[in-house]
Parts: sequence; structure tokens; C-alpha cells
Amino acid sequence: MDKELIQQIRDKARNLLKEGTVEGVIGYERASDDLTSRPLFAYSPSDTERLIFDETCAHNLVKYLLDKKGKKIAVVVKPCDSRAINLLLNEGQIERDNVFIIGVGCPGMVETNWNHKSETLQAKCRTCQLFKPVVYDFLAGGEIERQAEEETYSDITEEEAKSVATRREFWLEQFGRCIRCYACRQVCPGCYCPVCFAERLDPLWVGIRIAPEENDMWQTIRSFHLAGRCIGCNECERVCPVDIPLSLLNRKLEKDVKELFAFQAGLDPEEAPPFATFKKEEVMEFEK
Amino acid sequence: MNLFASKDDVIRWLGELLKEHVVIAPVRVQEQTTFQPISQVEDVVFDFNNTALSPKGWFLPPTETLFSVQRDDGKVELVPTKVERDAVIFGLHPCDARGIALMDSPFLQEPSDALYRERRSRTALIGLACRQAQPECFCTSMGSAPDDPSNVDILLTEGEDGYIVQAVTEKGKALLPKGLAEYKGKVPAPPKLEAVPTKEVVSAMRELFNDPYWEQVADRCLHCNICAYVCPTCYCFDMRDYADKGKVERVRSWESCQSPGFSLTAGGYDPRTTKGERLRQRFCHKLLYFPEQFQDVACVGCGRCVRDCPVNIDIREVISNLKQVTEAKSGS
Repeated sequence: MDKELIQQIRDKARNLLKEGTVEGVIGYERASDDLTSRPLFAYSPSDTERLIFDETCAHNLVKYLLDKKGKKIAVVVKPCDSRAINLLLNEGQIERDNVFIIGVGCPGMVETNWNHKSETLQAKCRTCQLFKPVVYDFLAGGEIERQAEEETYSDITEEEAKSVATRREFWLEQFGRCIRCYACRQVCPGCYCPVCFAERLDPLWVGIRIAPEENDMWQTIRSFHLAGRCIGCNECERVCPVDIPLSLLNRKLEKDVKELFAFQAGLDPEEAPPFATFKKEEVMEFEK
Repeated sequence: MNLFASKDDVIRWLGELLKEHVVIAPVRVQEQTTFQPISQVEDVVFDFNNTALSPKGWFLPPTETLFSVQRDDGKVELVPTKVERDAVIFGLHPCDARGIALMDSPFLQEPSDALYRERRSRTALIGLACRQAQPECFCTSMGSAPDDPSNVDILLTEGEDGYIVQAVTEKGKALLPKGLAEYKGKVPAPPKLEAVPTKEVVSAMRELFNDPYWEQVADRCLHCNICAYVCPTCYCFDMRDYADKGKVERVRSWESCQSPGFSLTAGGYDPRTTKGERLRQRFCHKLLYFPEQFQDVACVGCGRCVRDCPVNIDIREVISNLKQVTEAKSGS
């Protein structure tokens, strides 16, 4: 643990609460296993003594801003998480003036489970090229210098090379394990529809069966709703209790959107995701 | 009287059982261990920590058709789902067995749930005592123990070079293989577990129903259904009628009180709109409503929700906090 970094986060959080700049600070504290971490909502200056930051702080706390609309809130964000702030700003879900962003440089997060911490960096961290948040009001600890592998999408191109039948078999098997707990949706900063299609009765998009075909429908629409909007925090895959490799789907769509529209979500708050914009000159083939 | 079976004896026995029964046992799927009907004994895992999902799914499957509707010559008939074969669940830990015993209360109380009753009466439980506990385990605080034989038909305990076999019920005795020798040695001691302060938890729940505590814990809750779906005692479900090309069936699937819309009523009223109200419901059902209705707290201390909650809402910590908040309120 970087004690100096943690002290900076605590000092900033305490001052923000003392001065009344914000009503609450969302950060991290030690979990009940005394090893990993969990989200902390600090509302009084004394709560800030519990704030920590280390390589287990994987949660993307930006999701919680959606629960605190209209309130002035400070939030601790890693570089990848910060892209979610831009996404939500662009989509009009949060107001910049209401959010105080405590950015942190990120050394990369390791794989964790309750009471288990590995030495291995999460896959997304190995190729992450962001060393500081894309948007912040205060940067704790400064920018971190580290080496990152290039994102080559090699696993995706490998999948793409397989036949449709092979891929279909693979995904039906993966989705066969899905228990429709919706943790992937609940943790996702880009999933905030007031009524999710999965719960809509009229029209009925997908039924309640926890079975391969309906799970397939759920997962397909879920990932398509995130096409060009997924900011790559990979929280969905991390929280999946049955280990479905959702990053394969999300990154396939990320790769396609990058190739087709030269766009990556959350890097610029002014630029809307491709599927949220329409330009007159974008005449589709069949209209010619 | 305890008997002794070598591992080979157990494997042979499972092979015999497999001829006449559906055998549900822990198997390895990818990185996880989970209960599944097996097709060959070689797949059974004997040494495992608590499985990804509990074996409750055999009695209350994630999804099942309760009945289908058949129309013939203007006649309409409701055809209930049939349970085809007798079953054996092999290798369930005492906490999971207690989970099934707790589910019996709501499902077998009249009017009982026909499918649940049928599966339950036609399934034998062969338990496996836990030789080691995980840090998230707390079964001894929840009315069970790592070597608790009370909710299984047969309990196996791993000893040196094999298993000590204890037939608990008549149903269990009838399933035992012939020719097992008597075991006169000592049964290994179960692992010790840390205690959770469950004393007076029901009255604390009642007292703290309106306490701001719930909104505080719920701040970090994602309201996913992981805790409910991995829980051996959560049994809420949703039902829907499916109609497709003249075929109609009533389907039941797992559902959880954390879902948006779970408590939404016709007309649009939702009695539980805040995060705190929704999270509180889970704990109220387990620690207040269930014991008020059926005596026991609806938690078996398997620790799955502790292990799997993405934001570490730890029921042991909640129970300890309830005690602290009650004490602080009464000034003691």
C-alpha cells in the first residue's frame, strides 16, 4: 500500500466534507477479509480515515453516481473508471458541477476474490494505456509510469477465425451457465435504463427462463447496448459468479467500433458514441 | 453403528446407485465445482470447498415447467410435469443439507408444492462431513455443524484410507451397499469455526426495522441477485405462462427480492423503492420473517454470499452490526 497516496486521498476527502464542498465521498475501504477492498461511502470527516487505495481496488465506483443524482459527491476514480464519467456526462446522466473527481494513477489491479489476492494483474490492466484519469479535479499520487502491453485483440481475432457453428456452440455453453443474476448489468456504469429490456413485459423481449436460449438473448442484447459505449472497466466479467468470459464479447464490439468509426468510449466527454449520433451524410447503402 | 467404506467401495457403490437413480454430485466445470446429474462416477469430486451453487436447484430448479396445457378436440387438459426417476444427491455438506430442510418448511406446508414434494420424497441425501472449514464458513452459529448428520440419510466422514459411513435414516439404510465392515475407531474431530453473535438477532431485526443502518449498508449494494441465487435457502420465484404455436406452459424461474420490479404491483405501486428497503428485505426474510413463521433463521452459514458478493456485504458483519446498533440504542 502506498501510504502517501492514501494520505492524500484521505486529506482531500476530509477537507471536501469539512468545507461542505460535497455531501459524501465514494472511495474504498478494507473488506471483511482484511485483505481485499470494497466501496466506502464517507459522509463525515471521521469516516475518511477508513479510505484506502491499493491493487485490490477494482470496483468502478462511477456506477454509484447514478444513485446520487442531484447531490454533490466526490468519487475516487482510476484511469479506466474515469472514462465512465465522460460516458455519463456525454449521455446527460450526471452533471459535472455535482461531481468532484479524486483521480488516482493506477498501478494495475490484481485478480481478487473474497479472501484471495493473486499476484497476477487483471488482463485489462496488462494492456491498459491510460496512466492517469482522462478527467479529474484532483490527482492523488500523480501519474504512474509503467509498461503496458499493446492491445492487439489477439484473443478476439482468434475467435473471429472460428466458424459460426463453433462460436455458437461455445457461447451457448457459456450462456448455459448464466443464472441471470444480472450482476453484469448492475455493476455496469453504462447500464442505467429505468426499465431494462429484460424486465419489460410489453413488448416482451426476453422471458424469465434461466436456460441457454433466453440467456443467449439476454447476453446478446446486453452486449449490443454497450457497443461503442463500453468503457472497458470489465467489472461485468469480474463480478460474474459463473465466470462467463464477457470481455470477449465486449472487446469484440469495442474492436469493431474502433475499426468502423475510429471511436473509443469515454475518452472525450464531447464526442457522443456512434450509435447515439446521426449525421445527414451517413446515407446507408440501400437508400442509394 | 458406524461402517467403513474404502474410496473404491464408495466409487463402486455410486456406480450401482447410478443404475437405478439420477445421481447428483459435485463435478468440476471449468474452474468451479458444482452439483450436476452425473453420467459417470469418474466425474465426481470428493475434495471440494462449498460448491459454486448449492444443491437446492435439484428441488427448485433455476427454471422448470410446472405444467403444460393440452388441447384435444375442444377439451383442455392441464398436464403436470412428471418426476421420472428416484434420485440421490451425493456429497452435500451438512450446511447444504440443512438448507434443504429449511426449504421444506414453506414448500411442504399444506398446501404443499407438488413438484417439490415429489422430488423431495424421491431423493435421498448422502452427506459428506467437512474436514476443513473455509474462512467464510459459520454453520455452527446457524444451527448446524461440519459433522452434523441431522438432515441427511447417510453421512460420510473422510477418515484414514476411506470413509466412515453413518446411516442416519431408514431410507439411508436401504441404500447402503452390502458387506461393509463395522468401524470401531474414532471419528475425526470437525474443524472449529468462529462464532457469529446470533443470539437475539430476531428481536434486533424487529427493533431496527426503521433504523438508518439499512440505507447505509445498501449504499454499496448493487442489487444483483448473486446472494439469493447462491444461497441454499433463498426460494423466491417468478412464474409466467408461455404460449408458442398453440403450446402453452407455465414456467417458474428463480427470482430475488433485489431485482428491480420484484415488489412492483399492478397499478404501479412499489412498497420497496429505496436501496435500503430492498436490501433490508433480504435480511428481514432470513432473520425475522422466516423465524417468526417457521422458528429457524433462514441461513445455514455456508458463506457463499460472503464469498461471492461483489461489494462484500457480509451477513456475519450485518449480524454483528445489528447487535452493536441495538446495544448503542439501549445505552448498554
